[in-house]
Amino acid sequence: MISKSVCEQVLACALSRGGTFAEIFYEDSKNFSMRLRSGHIEAAGVSRPRGAGIRIYDNLRSIYVYTCDVTPEGLLRAAKKAAAAVTDSLGTGRDVRLCERAVTDIHPVRERTLDVPTDRRAQVLRAADAAARAVSPSITQVTASLLSREQHVLIANSDGLYTGDTRVYTRLLCSAVAGDGAQNQTGSENPGARMGFELFSERVNPEEVGRTAATSAVTMLSAPYCAAGEMPVVIAGGFGGVIFHEACGHSLEATSVAPGISEFSGKLGQQIAAPCVTAIDDGTMVGEWGSENIDDEGTPTTRLVLIENGVLKNYMVDRLNGLKMGMAPTGNARRESYAYAPTSRMRNTFIAPGTDDEEEMLRTMGDGLYAAKMGGGSVNPATGEFNFAVQEGYLVRDGKIVSPVRGASLIGRGSEILTRIDRVGRTMTMGQGMCGSLSGSVPTNVGQPTIRVSRLTVGGK
Amino acid sequence: MEIREFMDRVLTAAQAAGMEPAEVCASTSESFSVRVRLGEMEDYQVSDSLNVTLRGNLNGRIGTSSTQALDEESIDMLVRGVMESAQLVETEDQEEILPPEAAYASVCNFKPELQDVSAQEKIALAMEIDRLVSQADARVTPQHIVVASGAETFCLRNTLGLDLSHESNMIYAYAGAMAREGERTGTGMKLLWGYGLADVPAGEIANGAVREALDKLHAGKLASGVYPVVIRNSAMADLLTTFSGIFSADNAQKGLSLLAGREGQAIASACVTLMDDPLMPWGLGSCPFDREGAATRKKPVIENGVLATLLHNRRTAKKAGVRTTGNAAGGGRVAPSNFYLVPGEMDEAQMLSQMGDGLLITGVTGLHAGANAVSGDFSLLACGFEVKGGKPVRAVEQFTVAGNFYTLLEETLAVGSDLLFEGSPVGSPCVRVKQLSVAGE
Repeated sequence: MISKSVCEQVLACALSRGGTFAEIFYEDSKNFSMRLRSGHIEAAGVSRPRGAGIRIYDNLRSIYVYTCDVTPEGLLRAAKKAAAAVTDSLGTGRDVRLCERAVTDIHPVRERTLDVPTDRRAQVLRAADAAARAVSPSITQVTASLLSREQHVLIANSDGLYTGDTRVYTRLLCSAVAGDGAQNQTGSENPGARMGFELFSERVNPEEVGRTAATSAVTMLSAPYCAAGEMPVVIAGGFGGVIFHEACGHSLEATSVAPGISEFSGKLGQQIAAPCVTAIDDGTMVGEWGSENIDDEGTPTTRLVLIENGVLKNYMVDRLNGLKMGMAPTGNARRESYAYAPTSRMRNTFIAPGTDDEEEMLRTMGDGLYAAKMGGGSVNPATGEFNFAVQEGYLVRDGKIVSPVRGASLIGRGSEILTRIDRVGRTMTMGQGMCGSLSGSVPTNVGQPTIRVSRLTVGGK
Repeated sequence: MEIREFMDRVLTAAQAAGMEPAEVCASTSESFSVRVRLGEMEDYQVSDSLNVTLRGNLNGRIGTSSTQALDEESIDMLVRGVMESAQLVETEDQEEILPPEAAYASVCNFKPELQDVSAQEKIALAMEIDRLVSQADARVTPQHIVVASGAETFCLRNTLGLDLSHESNMIYAYAGAMAREGERTGTGMKLLWGYGLADVPAGEIANGAVREALDKLHAGKLASGVYPVVIRNSAMADLLTTFSGIFSADNAQKGLSLLAGREGQAIASACVTLMDDPLMPWGLGSCPFDREGAATRKKPVIENGVLATLLHNRRTAKKAGVRTTGNAAGGGRVAPSNFYLVPGEMDEAQMLSQMGDGLLITGVTGLHAGANAVSGDFSLLACGFEVKGGKPVRAVEQFTVAGNFYTLLEETLAVGSDLLFEGSPVGSPCVRVKQLSVAGE
């Protein structure tokens, strides 16, 4: 770690030619990864990303310099490089006095993955592999990976903040291929948490993970292609929440709201969704994949209501965009690593439970698509155009599930889909993803109960 | 500690721990980027970074570990990390650590003059693009204007006398523009890259982004159905990038590619020749050696429709009984270098007039989710133009285009002349395809 006095010198150096704010983000991480494929562990290793990023606000402009050289000389060199880019001499030569702030860890780790004997770690992958292969002889390949990250950070800024945090993540990724020689289909299941190795004794059963991935692949192997067109769609919970994440969440990040790019810019207090929709971004959920103690600017994490009964209540705001928007930061500033300046990002983002009956929404939908499992997706925040892959879909005729279908995708505009949600179920579940944006790839949870959208364009052939 | 000294120390420590042989590779890089919008600099970023990876053979098993910190703790961590990793890894077909080859070709993708281009010049370029986009049309505003450059040195050494290094650099400039009229919004982008300011002219970048944004502003919906299709070069390169993994021998040997055992067979239309050329002058993916220190060479992967070879590293080559193609990418993986469809005779306009009626696809999005490299299936959000009588007559958007990449290779009717590498080592000309399924309205 870097001492308070070194941080004070570096921050003072950063502000020596002007600038209204300076910040140091230092990271020393230990990562472990292991991959099993064709029934054998084929790769395993540790890595140690370490470095520091120095940021200056030059009026409302962000200057960011990062380096792997974290010696006092290296940090001062980086601070000088950043200061050299300052154009506005406002606030020149500020003295910086730091005061340490302790962080309460609301996600205590009970078992460090790096301390677990290697054969127990390997056993997680072997269990997932064996369970997947037992599903069907048509499973031709299983890839299972264990990822563990232990990120130690130190954050200091010219407002006097000096604080630190340790973030521990553990994830099992399992992907199965079902094949008949002429064609392949895949299924995957990728649970993770802000937890240590206790993930596998408390929350995730590796065999269940392998089975789920394999069953999905086998189901899709015999499925015909999905027919294309506009139709009602019922989307199951868990990773189905990716639809809100892409179609709406990204457009509520200050990154697109502050410059007025988002289709939801200037719409606080307005009805932007059907009244049955309440959506929340919550960093406080214990041990969840997208949870935090503090964000990457040192702001304590929060639970933020984004949409309440269809009315837009809050944006997700980082410090710099907050200055541009005249709003307080909400604890949403995140970054992949020291190699990225932070910006507003989602944490655990979900549609809150509603009052509708899951069985009724299928029964009364007529002809359409039931999306049991979603793949990933993306959105253009300017136009709100989104697209999602349906990993496991089913054709619905007259309110009854008829057969699985493959190759379906969902497209539309965020503002449209929010108003077309006409059912929200009672049980919310979440799924884990890595969300990519300006500040890199960060762990986020998506979630929702089963919901129904009255009309969506379904791509297929 | 200096990097060369650190590498020496790591190799010595690895040998002392019983690793015979051991290999250390280091990449050091520096980068610059600036983002401007409406005459204001929004973001300025400078970096230097490094990464050092140790691989070592302990009693026939090879382990790996890596670090970004050049200190005593890291030397110890790297060595212990390799020992732990070597105990865990249980695949019998290991990647070998071998002495250097007799000779390596030389290829250049580093221009020393680019290192002398100042931050001020790059900022001025970004400002100029921003100004041109702002002034082009009252309906258009710049969204993100970025100018960025980077340089990287890759160094590979082992205890058997291998000592190789390669330097590369590049600059790119990008404009994202947004057009608005009433409730309608269209976005456009243009990226150019090269090795000096002359390769990234502001006018061409601004115009490209503005034109695309305006085109999309009036885009309409497209009726669902099956359409004959021309895929624009940049969109085809995106598809080829996404599906490049099917040409990996590693994937094929592990049942993740349907091309396993298909060498010598026709897998594509006769007009398709797919090249991997690591020795292309000024190529983004150019390097005379691969991640295992094997010499690289130019070779067709598909030649006139026939699968000539898959891409190999030493391990997959040994298993298949062939010579490595020099495509080791680290971590046991195999990847292409400069990878492209060899261009044919006709430009996009000629391809459209040959097609007559159909669809020109100018962009596809959602590739990380809507395309499955194992099955070959894709179903992607797309935009483009409806084509009538050989001419683009109407911009269209908000439709999905679905197909299968293996089928697309078989049903390619012609490959265009406009080969483009859009800031990526994977490139393509436009291609004309028999048909793809569209879901619109």
